[in-house]
Amino acid sequence: MNSFHSCLRATLLVTLLGFLSPQLHGQIEVPVATLVRVGIGPIGGPQGNMVTQVLSTDLKRTGMITPVESEAGDYQASGDASGAGLVGKLMNKKTGAAVFTQTFNGTGRAAVHQFADAVTQAVTGVPGFASSKLAFISSSNGAKELYLADIDGASARAITHDGTISSGPSLNRDGTRLTYTSYKSGYPDVYLVDLGTGNRSRIAYFPGINSGPSFSPDGSQIALTLSKDGNPEIYTMPASGGAAPNRITRTRGSETSPSWSPTGDRLVYCSDDRGGPQLFISSSQTISEMDHLVTGNAYCTKPDWSADGKWIAFTTRMSGVFQIGVYDVARRTAQLLTTSGGQDPAWTRDSRHLVYSNNGRLYLLDTLSRQVQPIDMSVAGCSEPTVSR
Amino acid sequence: MNKKFLAPLLIVLTVALTACSDSKKGENYTGMGDGNLPGGDQLNTGIPQDRLPGSINPDKDVNYQMLQSDTVYFAFDSSTIPGSERAKLEQVRQWFEANPGHSLFLAGHADKRGTPEYNRALGERRALAVREYLVGLGLKPQALYTNSYGADRPAAEGDTEAAFSKNRRVEIGVVIQP
Repeated sequence: MNSFHSCLRATLLVTLLGFLSPQLHGQIEVPVATLVRVGIGPIGGPQGNMVTQVLSTDLKRTGMITPVESEAGDYQASGDASGAGLVGKLMNKKTGAAVFTQTFNGTGRAAVHQFADAVTQAVTGVPGFASSKLAFISSSNGAKELYLADIDGASARAITHDGTISSGPSLNRDGTRLTYTSYKSGYPDVYLVDLGTGNRSRIAYFPGINSGPSFSPDGSQIALTLSKDGNPEIYTMPASGGAAPNRITRTRGSETSPSWSPTGDRLVYCSDDRGGPQLFISSSQTISEMDHLVTGNAYCTKPDWSADGKWIAFTTRMSGVFQIGVYDVARRTAQLLTTSGGQDPAWTRDSRHLVYSNNGRLYLLDTLSRQVQPIDMSVAGCSEPTVSR
Repeated sequence: MNKKFLAPLLIVLTVALTACSDSKKGENYTGMGDGNLPGGDQLNTGIPQDRLPGSINPDKDVNYQMLQSDTVYFAFDSSTIPGSERAKLEQVRQWFEANPGHSLFLAGHADKRGTPEYNRALGERRALAVREYLVGLGLKPQALYTNSYGADRPAAEGDTEAAFSKNRRVEIGVVIQP
């Protein structure tokens, strides 16, 4: 009788999902009329052309803005790059009022990205992510090394040259620190890298595996998988190391890939305690009840919680192919976001775009319009992206 | 109207059938029986793990050729030792008794059809399962070391089931005393 009921429940659930599926694969074109039109120009100084081009690309990438000829538009972005730093100005063309005039102190492209984010925030109310950093793994040199790049793919460079296995990087919110797993010692240990000074320290090297580290929202702690007590489980510990780890899960299955809620009170992670890998939410403070996130799919791993708390992106597997799925935390339902393959999603700070990898390349996905664009990079064999917020 | 729902209906039927059989398995599965050996589901028994003494390098000081024929292979997504692999572990026990004073380094691996973190944990559970079983056969836990390489050190390249099945393994390494 029990198995009949669960069969019935399964059939009803899947029927519902089946009827939803015609919508899952369509791409929604956001009508051009709803995009904010921002005119760009003039940008003074010898770098004027570069600034215009980078600014235009950054604004277009948000999926909410269309850069137009400088005379048209709802807003006008102009500036001067001839002095030290970039002076950026935004004007509301309807009212004629200046929205802001600001000096952006980064060098070169970094300053333009900051300008683009300020424009995005001002004209849409949503944070821009042009100034975000991207870290990932690349096997292009033979061994799996750790790389850093801008989110548009520029300035990609290796930050490890260990000739061993590097895996699972996680950037802290402001992109100043990074934690990841490395086999430098011969075993999978977790390291902390200060991206400013370049200092690297080993913070978790317990017997067994130490892997899948993830920074808490305030950067003070990491959640990770340790198997030191006989089985891969989730623990939290101070990011600086030192104190004993705090155990979060206790099951007969494996728990991996923790990701923090934006308020830091909960963790979402993958557990195969019920047979196949599934997603669960627990308290980040202590061993607690595991809340199973029902996605309708038998294989769900590598969750990532969006900054606004509303979405959990994850990797799922259908017919042997990895795809990106997203779970609506409030509604407790899931959808597919890709059809051509994808894994290891990482949200950007706007909780709308995410980066994922597919067949050695990184892609930016607009989860609202479902539009995908490749992140052009000088490095091949890319996987496991993480994005600063 | 009919065509629009045909594909989802087919998906529904297929998945419903699979879902039914999976849920039955979830209710009765104990990890024992079906010719499989316990060990995959009996972790957390408190057998302490440790790493090789610091002077021993797991990449250089472990010989995987000596007991290569005793490599234990696993089913997809599973860390339960299949019954058909039982004889190999008995051979390992015999070797161990005939060659006292050695330590074994059990290296767990996964095929690449999983995300990297999940594969690392799967390789770890496989190594721990073999370690537990060997302890059950009488080997001292202090002589058994484990490590997991996830999917990062495949034995066979390629995207065929033949290649995948060769990668889902625990290799029994003999620690070379310096």
